[in-house]
Amino acid sequence: MKVSFPYMGTPIGYKKIAALLGHEVIDPPKPTQRTIDLGVKYSPEFACFPMKVLLGSYIEAIELGADTLISSGGHGPCRAGFYGEVQSKILRSMGYDVDLIIFDSIKRDFLGFYRKVKKIKGKHSWRDVWYTLKFSYHTIKILDFLEQQIETVRAYEVHKGQSTKVWEMIEKKIDGAYSDAELDRVKKEAQEMIDEIKLVQVPEEQKIRIGIVGEIYVVMESSVNMRVEERLGELGCEVRRSQYLSEWVDFNLIPARFSPSREPEILRKGEKYIEIIIGGHAKQNMGAIVDYKEQGFDGIVHLMPFGCLPELISQSIMPKVSEDLDIPVLTLSLDEQTGRANSLTRLEAFVDLIRTRKNGKCIIQVS
Amino acid sequence: MKGVYLGIDVGSVTTKIAAIDDQAGMVFTRYIRTNGQPLESVKQSLRELRNELGELNVLGVGTTGSGRQLVGIMVGADVVKNEITAHATATVFQYPKVRTIFEIGGQDSKIIVVQDGVVVDFAMNTVCAAGTGSFLDHQAERLKVPIEQFGELALKAKKDVRIAGRCTVFAESDMIAKQQFGFSKAEIIKGLCEALVRNYINNLGRGKRLEPPFVFQGGVAANQGIRAAFEKEMGCEIIVPNHAGNMGSIGVALIVRDYIQETGVPTKFRGFDVAELEFVPSSFECSGCSNHCEIVKVELNSKMIAAWGDRCGKWTNNTI
Ligand code: SF4
Ligand code: SF4
Repeated sequence: MKVSFPYMGTPIGYKKIAALLGHEVIDPPKPTQRTIDLGVKYSPEFACFPMKVLLGSYIEAIELGADTLISSGGHGPCRAGFYGEVQSKILRSMGYDVDLIIFDSIKRDFLGFYRKVKKIKGKHSWRDVWYTLKFSYHTIKILDFLEQQIETVRAYEVHKGQSTKVWEMIEKKIDGAYSDAELDRVKKEAQEMIDEIKLVQVPEEQKIRIGIVGEIYVVMESSVNMRVEERLGELGCEVRRSQYLSEWVDFNLIPARFSPSREPEILRKGEKYIEIIIGGHAKQNMGAIVDYKEQGFDGIVHLMPFGCLPELISQSIMPKVSEDLDIPVLTLSLDEQTGRANSLTRLEAFVDLIRTRKNGKCIIQVS
Repeated sequence: MKGVYLGIDVGSVTTKIAAIDDQAGMVFTRYIRTNGQPLESVKQSLRELRNELGELNVLGVGTTGSGRQLVGIMVGADVVKNEITAHATATVFQYPKVRTIFEIGGQDSKIIVVQDGVVVDFAMNTVCAAGTGSFLDHQAERLKVPIEQFGELALKAKKDVRIAGRCTVFAESDMIAKQQFGFSKAEIIKGLCEALVRNYINNLGRGKRLEPPFVFQGGVAANQGIRAAFEKEMGCEIIVPNHAGNMGSIGVALIVRDYIQETGVPTKFRGFDVAELEFVPSSFECSGCSNHCEIVKVELNSKMIAAWGDRCGKWTNNTI
């Protein structure tokens, strides 16, 4: 099989599984304007933005020769649950003969999950599969661990853009590591690279931490969110996301008893604002905001894809949450027409707001 | 020679410039049309500034507005700030107790919520023209009333007429209908002003607690009809500052003053001679990947001195 997957943050984790199980891997292209245009062209108009970009990504992967596409599904009653079906149909009607395999939470549909794994497993033994899964889980854990450090140091780097460059190199290194020993070695190297980034010393009380919440795809995929993490980093803010791939796995694929996932706790914290799971990550987001506040974060950037129902609901309760918790929230709506200049202006003003609020006075960042 | 701090606010419709002294006293303000040529309009304002005030010792310069980067490069700005912070800074400086700032410009509008002199919330609109100055320009043209007399005329209305104005298109057709009912021009105009204010508050004020004191600024603040409509809508007095149209430029001048006084760094201002230099902005499509970004670059003596618009840092990171 020639396997590919869409970008949702780095696809290295998926790639490992497919490659170790002996499939030919087609490196997926990172979404660009063309991807979005393709997706918009072939999707129903009312579909939400992530669905369109994903479809565009599938088409581009197919153009590169992929015959099997693997992705993770969404959960809850929002449209994500039907994505796979709709997208397969569209691809078929376009004349492409591909297999679209979407992994949903193992806890929801064990049998389905099993069948899908079996399909990808090929002739390999279950032991191999187990090892592969473990290895790729380990890989994404390391990636997330390193990325969070980048998300911190980017705010204080002396040479603008260095952290991002380092991160790109780290991704490449980890992409090439195919054994536990190699992975460990690369991890050490990566750590050294991060430690070598020269930083400006900023007094603790002036540090600004921002949590990014919202729909999982736009939160994780930088090419559709105006690289919001980098932008905030340039403005001198540390960031964390409400979503990391390894956390998705922790919660959705690992049995609760062994899972280090904080998601149940986060969900509980969100209860006050959204009682039930209304789809997407609306409830998790509420919990994440409460959690960020408790950790002493200074502000929240809420990313909302156009056409997303769950996030529309989140948006409408945001003013109340913000007031209740006394934490500033900026909602940015993302779609194929998003005016970037406008959103960047708002982001800048938002950071000024937080900085002034925190220090009583705006310490000027010359940008 | 008098020492001044310059603030330049370059919007797509108008260019505003302000000069203040080191005590924040107002020395000069100007408000002109951009006419699609931000660099030219800034050069012209600088020339006027020099002609009127003679040689000045510029201690610092800041830019704001949608053309802030481009113009910042041209003049050698010490500070490049977003419009929201710039506007709020000027207002809070003049009215420390302000709670809500209404700003309506030619192409965009904002609401800024302030508490204890600090911005706590804001909203900004650039997509929908229904709540901006261009809506009024357009209707003035339709009614054949010079925009300068628009506001005054609105105050002469004897009756109320409600114009449904969720968006420009609806407002227009409703306006025609109301004209046919025999409402006077003044009444229609008053209705339009009220529709604009209603739209503005509904769009931008949603979910926000708008409390007095209210300050209304931006180019449209000169329009008395709109001010009256705001007073009616909010049921409260609305303050319009003296230099309502120049608040952005004043704000960024104040910011650069603070910055220079605090850090003591020398200004990067290129001097009034920039008015004679040839800065050539141009744009091209990058073919580095299928994003096909529209890159804007500025050249001086055929050397690229700035670029932006890329999504990957390929161009922005390679200029000085
Ligand atoms: S959460 Fe929103 S964007 Fe994501 S699939 Fe559901 S409706 Fe679409
Ligand atoms: S600027 Fe970067 S992202 Fe944009 S088209 Fe060129 S290479 Fe691609």
